[in-house]
Amino acid sequence: MSIIDLTSMAEPEGEAQKKINDIIKGLQEDIPHDCYQCGKCTSGCEAFILTELEPHKVMALSKSGFIDELLNSGEIWTCVTCLKCKERCPQDLAPVDVIFAVKNIAVSSGKQIDSGYSNMLQAVLGTGFIQSPKEVVDRENNAVTRDDMGLPKIKGPEEMPKLQQVLMKAATETLR
Amino acid sequence: MEKIGLYLGCLIPTEQYAYELAIREVLPELGTELVDIEGPACCGAPLRHINLSLTMYLSARNIALFEKEGLDILAPCPYCHQAISEAKDVLDKNPTLKEKVNSYLKEEGLEYKGKVKHYHLLDLLHDEIGTEVIKEHIKEPLEGLNIAAHYGCHLIRPNDIPRPDDSENPQKLETLLKTIGAESDYYNEKLDCCGAHILLNEQESALTKTGQKLEAVQNHGFDGMTTMCPWGQRMFDTKQDSAGQTVGASLNIPVIYYIQLLGLAMGKEPEALGLHLNKSPVDKLGSKEED
Ligand code: SF4
Ligand code: SF4
Repeated sequence: MSIIDLTSMAEPEGEAQKKINDIIKGLQEDIPHDCYQCGKCTSGCEAFILTELEPHKVMALSKSGFIDELLNSGEIWTCVTCLKCKERCPQDLAPVDVIFAVKNIAVSSGKQIDSGYSNMLQAVLGTGFIQSPKEVVDRENNAVTRDDMGLPKIKGPEEMPKLQQVLMKAATETLR
Repeated sequence: MEKIGLYLGCLIPTEQYAYELAIREVLPELGTELVDIEGPACCGAPLRHINLSLTMYLSARNIALFEKEGLDILAPCPYCHQAISEAKDVLDKNPTLKEKVNSYLKEEGLEYKGKVKHYHLLDLLHDEIGTEVIKEHIKEPLEGLNIAAHYGCHLIRPNDIPRPDDSENPQKLETLLKTIGAESDYYNEKLDCCGAHILLNEQESALTKTGQKLEAVQNHGFDGMTTMCPWGQRMFDTKQDSAGQTVGASLNIPVIYYIQLLGLAMGKEPEALGLHLNKSPVDKLGSKEED
């Protein structure tokens, strides 16, 4: 693949950046613009040590408009959200938020995501929480529940259908 | 602090029962009455991967519910606490956005004003209740124990929104450990992440992170590790065996919520603090102490 192929595959720089900036506005300055590729984010990245994730590359790719490249890489899903990149960037940028934005774009453009994430969303839309109270086992292997331990009933959202409706609407907006 | 609204989020009330038991057991005795309110849902942080607007709405909504009751918020989960901090930070700086979020909240009969304060256990204990008051309640100081502090990434980062302790050199947990008679050495891996957030989709990498940190703590010679995060506790305690298998280490290190340790030092019954629910060998802490 030549450099010409690569550039023609990129979305026009402005559009790609706009998509990402739209999602993360309020959380940080406009992205990639100010990233000078110092690599500090990657040097402390908790995922980099184990996986292929290189946050400075995420910034470079989004700066040059290679959104598809990012959307199709499994790496964005290996960020452990330790937030060290956001804390340490000398330019006050947040690769972690760019990664979230790219994941959000992957979801809204119908890309296949791990079923764990979609299950969590379903659970929140259904009950308000990511999971329902579980029966756990103690060190002696006895099963125990909230009731057994005298913990009070969880008083979640009273009107789930209403909350669900509002959430569906909020999801289409940029609340940032 | 006389009265505070308890916001438990998702993980604590659905499986990390020891944390909830110990919080309910210890805080009232330190003079803080906990109030449960109706209506809060998920903080939205786990949904960031899917849609950041959902996170914002859910956190604004939770804050609004406590505001309606005129209660400050105690969020003992760093992930929830950070989502609340971020929502407040963004909304309070941006009136137009606040108006927009409020137009949605109105459909649920709620309004975000940004007037209530929110705390995690770390700042509630260290800054509000204070080490002097805690000391007055200590009956059985945990002398002779050297405990590794694990804060949890979301509790200390990012500093600018702000967080309850410093991002690069947090010390409040160590201070709280010393307050109850224990030691807490520095160790190089102190700020390392537990891996919890990729457990869903990258199980092996997640457990490798967990195992590596536990191995470091064990090799340092600590008697145990303490956490203030249900996600971290779940990795280091509940999943310690699988983490050990993943990194090929034989791990046998007690991992305990700080609030459980505090309860023990206050002379509380282990069962009332949910100690039977910890999977790691927390019994070892007691025997070491008596040595
Ligand atoms: S630390 Fe900041 S400026 Fe440096 S490469 Fe990463 S995002 Fe760019
Ligand atoms: S938040 Fe994600 S990208 Fe940033 S340093 Fe941590 S693991 Fe790496």
